[in-house]
Amino acid sequence: MSAADGTAHRHLRSLRAALTYPLTSDRRLLVAGGTTGLTYLVLVLSTFPQFSVQVVSRNPTDIGYAVSTLTREVYLTTGWTGLALVVLYALLTGVALTHTAALYRQTRASGVSSVATVLPGVLAAGCASCGAGVLGMLGFVGAMAALPFQGNLLRTAGILLLVGFLARTGDPRTCNRGEIP
Amino acid sequence: MDSESNITRRRALIAGGATVVFGGGVAYLASRSESSSQEYTPSTYQSLDGTTGYGVELADRPVVGERDAPVDMYYWTDYLCPFCKEFERQTLPKLGQNYVESGEVRLVFLSYPNIGQYSMPSAHWDRCVWRQSAESEPSTYWDWHGEAFDAQSGGGHDWADEEAFASITERTDGITVPAVDECRRNNADEIRSDIEADVSLAGNSGVRGTPGFVLYNRDADAAGKIVGAHPYENFANALDRVLEA
Repeated sequence: MSAADGTAHRHLRSLRAALTYPLTSDRRLLVAGGTTGLTYLVLVLSTFPQFSVQVVSRNPTDIGYAVSTLTREVYLTTGWTGLALVVLYALLTGVALTHTAALYRQTRASGVSSVATVLPGVLAAGCASCGAGVLGMLGFVGAMAALPFQGNLLRTAGILLLVGFLARTGDPRTCNRGEIP
Repeated sequence: MDSESNITRRRALIAGGATVVFGGGVAYLASRSESSSQEYTPSTYQSLDGTTGYGVELADRPVVGERDAPVDMYYWTDYLCPFCKEFERQTLPKLGQNYVESGEVRLVFLSYPNIGQYSMPSAHWDRCVWRQSAESEPSTYWDWHGEAFDAQSGGGHDWADEEAFASITERTDGITVPAVDECRRNNADEIRSDIEADVSLAGNSGVRGTPGFVLYNRDADAAGKIVGAHPYENFANALDRVLEA
């Protein structure tokens, strides 16, 4: 097996360990599930922040209306691919934040550095996923219109960032950062 | 430590089941069809000039409703915007029947091309169709406008191109593609400038997406803002408040 094959194999093993990490305790599974749901909620509502804020501030119980309407809006604007990418991003964020919690607990003394490791990836991926809404809020009218594939390329890039983070981290309970020559 | 030492079948099944339910729920929300939509055809159209107290240029903008209705409803839209179609199919018919036909509100159509690459050209088509029909038969514009939103298809905005809008125009009685094309060629700069004025006013009003609305009581000089395809009740409440201002 060549060195490149070995590295790819190691990363895949590490990614598998990372993705199955939330299954290692009921609490972790609950955290991953809750974070996934919350992330989806935030991503979908942020596709049209003004609308979401207006609907929820008029009647907080209308949040279901906002989520269901904007879910359909995401599908109609970006297709099944775009919607699947948002769902995938939410799932990966659920896993990634469970990891971050574990890393933070393990290195509480240097907690800032471990959070700082994951935060840019999560934020970049999040911004890539929520798309036009946030860009519009920032005043970039039509910015999403100029992006190829209705912004799905950017969403994919965001997800790759998260996958990269997870593949690098592996199971956060193990020390797999250093390589023994 | 073995990373999978304490992964149990029970947790794996729960996670798998929850993922399927989550994905299925999202797919259900995305694919559910619109509830029965109503038809609305306005009885009155206006071709107006000048600038309103709110700062909206009325020339070449389609206006529906009575000229002296006390409240203006400025509606920023984009033919590639699915949320605008939702508003037009679910909410506008009721608003039209209850507020426009009663003479309380006049609806002013403004452009806010922001969704896809053909958003701006589609706004040019819109302006030229209105120019061609405003004086002779303004209901032609309404028919074309409805056809354009009907042409939207799910899964992106690739449907929108020259061919699609030419086809929409061909399907609309009372307007021809060569006439609209000539208008688009001869007035491109002026129309672009008008559209940019609409977008600029949207920005100044804090409207950052489509559909966006400002409700403006001209006598009281009072305004309110709604962004997105809210349920009818939210529009009705906001209009009642602005009417009473």
